[in-house]
Amino acid sequence: MADALIVADGLGRTYAGAVPTVALEGVSFTLEAGEFAAIVGRSGSGKSTLLNLIGLLDTPTHGSLVLRDRDVSRIGGVERASLRNELIGFVFQYHHLLPEFSVRENVAMPALIAGKRLDAELTKRVDETLDVLGLGGLGAKGANDLSGGQKQRVAIGRALMNRPPLILADEPTGNLDTESTDAVYELFRKVNREWGTAFLIVTHDQEIASMTDRILEIADGHLKQDVRNEFAKPSRGSRAV
Amino acid sequence: MLPLRIAWRFVRTSRAQSALIIIGIAVGIAVQIFVGSLITSLQASLIDTTIGSSPHITLADPKDGQPVVYTPRMQTMLASAAGVTSVAPTRQLPTLYVNGSDKVPLTLIGATLPELDGIYHIASKVTAGTASLRIGEVIVGKDLAVKYSLKPGNPLPVLTGSSKTSLHVSAIVDLGASAANLRQVFTGPDYPRGQLGYRADQYTDVEVQLSDPFQSKPLAADWTQRLPGVKVSEWQADNKDLLGGLQAQSGSSLMIQVFVLVAVALGIASTLAISAVQKSRQIGILKALGMADARTGRIFFAEAMILGVSGTGLGVIVGYLLIAGFTLGTKNSPSAFPIIPQPGFIAISAGIGILVALLSSLIPIRKTTRLDPIEVIQNG
Repeated sequence: MADALIVADGLGRTYAGAVPTVALEGVSFTLEAGEFAAIVGRSGSGKSTLLNLIGLLDTPTHGSLVLRDRDVSRIGGVERASLRNELIGFVFQYHHLLPEFSVRENVAMPALIAGKRLDAELTKRVDETLDVLGLGGLGAKGANDLSGGQKQRVAIGRALMNRPPLILADEPTGNLDTESTDAVYELFRKVNREWGTAFLIVTHDQEIASMTDRILEIADGHLKQDVRNEFAKPSRGSRAV
Repeated sequence: MLPLRIAWRFVRTSRAQSALIIIGIAVGIAVQIFVGSLITSLQASLIDTTIGSSPHITLADPKDGQPVVYTPRMQTMLASAAGVTSVAPTRQLPTLYVNGSDKVPLTLIGATLPELDGIYHIASKVTAGTASLRIGEVIVGKDLAVKYSLKPGNPLPVLTGSSKTSLHVSAIVDLGASAANLRQVFTGPDYPRGQLGYRADQYTDVEVQLSDPFQSKPLAADWTQRLPGVKVSEWQADNKDLLGGLQAQSGSSLMIQVFVLVAVALGIASTLAISAVQKSRQIGILKALGMADARTGRIFFAEAMILGVSGTGLGVIVGYLLIAGFTLGTKNSPSAFPIIPQPGFIAISAGIGILVALLSSLIPIRKTTRLDPIEVIQNG
C-alpha cells in the first residue's frame, strides 16, 4: 500500500439536527497515486459529501481517512487548510475564479497562499501552465474577460499550480458545452498521464464516467459499486489541448 | 502580505463603495479635528482674555491691610517652582483721581515695569505713549483715558488720604476688560510704598503667573503648607462660574466628538460587513484553496486599515483646511480668535480614527472566519 493516496475506512458523515441526517455511511476504498477515477451517483446520493470529506472541506463523523499515509480524520482547521493547499487541487462545476485578479494571479493563487511571491520564477511557471492549458498570452487579462470554457481551463490551471498529487473535480463540465467538455477531459487525461496526478471526478453523467479507469458508485450514502473500467473510452473528440 | 494584497484589490475594485467610506471617515475625522481645535482654542482665548493678564496665584497676609513680607525664602521658593513664569511683588494703593469736582476711585498698582509686564503684559497692550514707570509716572487704562480725555504727558492728580500729588501719564493701555481699564493704574513701587509706610521687603501682594493656569490649585495647596502665616489665593477658587462654563464647554465638545466617532465606527462596520457578504464567494474559494480562517479574517483587517489610514489622512487634511477657512473667514471679526491646530490632539484623533476603523473590522472578520467554503462552492 506504499502508493496509496487515499485510504477511506468506514467513512461516514451524519448531520446533527432534531432528526440526524446520514449523508454518508461506511464508505471504504483506496485510491492509488496516479489513478483516474470517477464517483457516480444520483443527486443527493452523497457523492459531493464524499468529495468534501476527501477534500478536507468537511470532517467525517465516523470512520477514518488517510491521505498520503497521514490520518486526517480529526486534524484541526489550520492543518486541514495547509494540507488542502499542498495535496489537493479543486475543480468545481462553476469556475469560481476571483474576478478582482488577473488570469495569471488566479492561477498563481494557491502558490501565493502557500507563501510564494509572484516573482519572475513563479510567473514563468504560471505562464507555462497557461500554455499547457491553451491559454498562452492571456495571463494579463482579467478573469472576467474570458469565455466560459476558458474560465474553466484557468480554474484547472489553478488546481494544478502547486502540482498536487490529487485533483478533485465536482461536475467540472456541468456548465460547459460538448466541445469544451471534451477539451477538459482530454486535458485531465494528459495531466494524469504526463504528471502522474490522480483524479477523482464526481459526475452524474455515465458517459463521462466511462472515460475514466475506475468507477465508484454511491447510492443512498453507501458505496454501492467499485469497478475497474478496463475499456475506458477515449473522449468524444480528440481535440488537442 | 497576501491578505493586504487581496484587501487592496477589494478596495480598488469596489471604487465607489471604498470612496464613500473613505469620505465618511474623512468627514468624521475632519469634524473631530475642527471641533476639538475650535473648542480648545476658544477656551485658550477665553482663559487668556479672562485671566491671561492677571495673577493666577496671589500671596498676601491673612489679615486685611497687613503687608506680606517678601522673604528670601519665598523668593527662592517661587523662583524654583515649576510652571511659574512671572512673579511681581506689588503694593496696591486705593486712591482718588481728582478731576475738578469729580473724585474717581482708582487702585494704584505699584511695582517695577518688568515685574508688572510679566503679569499684565503691559508692553503689548499700549495704545498710546510709551510704557515707562519712572518716579511720578503712571500707565492708565483706555476707558479712564477716554472718559477723562487723558493723553500721554497729561497730569493725573491723585488724593491718597489727605496727601495730594500729581502723577503723569506715560502711556495708555487696553487691558481687555472695561472695569480694569477704568480702575487700574500702574505706577512704580516707590509712591505706594511711601503712602503705605512699608519697609522695602513689605508688599500688599505677591502676584504669580503660571504657564498652565490650571496648575494653580495644586501649587497653591503646596505653597499654603510651605508658607505658614501667608494667605495663598488662586484664580480657580475665585472664578467658579467661569470654570463651570469651561468644563461644560469641554463636556459638550467631548460628546460631539464621541458621537462623531460612533457614527464613523458604525459607518465603517456596516460597510465592511456588507463587503464581507459581497466577497463571501471569494473568501470561500480562498479557503477551499487552503487559506486558513484567521488569514482570511486578516483580509478585512487589512481592508479596514487601508480605509482607516486613507480616510484619516484625508480627514486630517480637510480638518486643516476647515481651520484655515475659519481663520480666513473670521479674520476681520472683532471677536475673532486664532484656532491653533494642536499636533498632539490631531495625532490622537488620527490614531483614534484608525483604531475605530480596525475595531470596526471585527464584525466582518468574525463573519469571514465562520464562513463555510462548502456553502459557497455549492451555491455557485
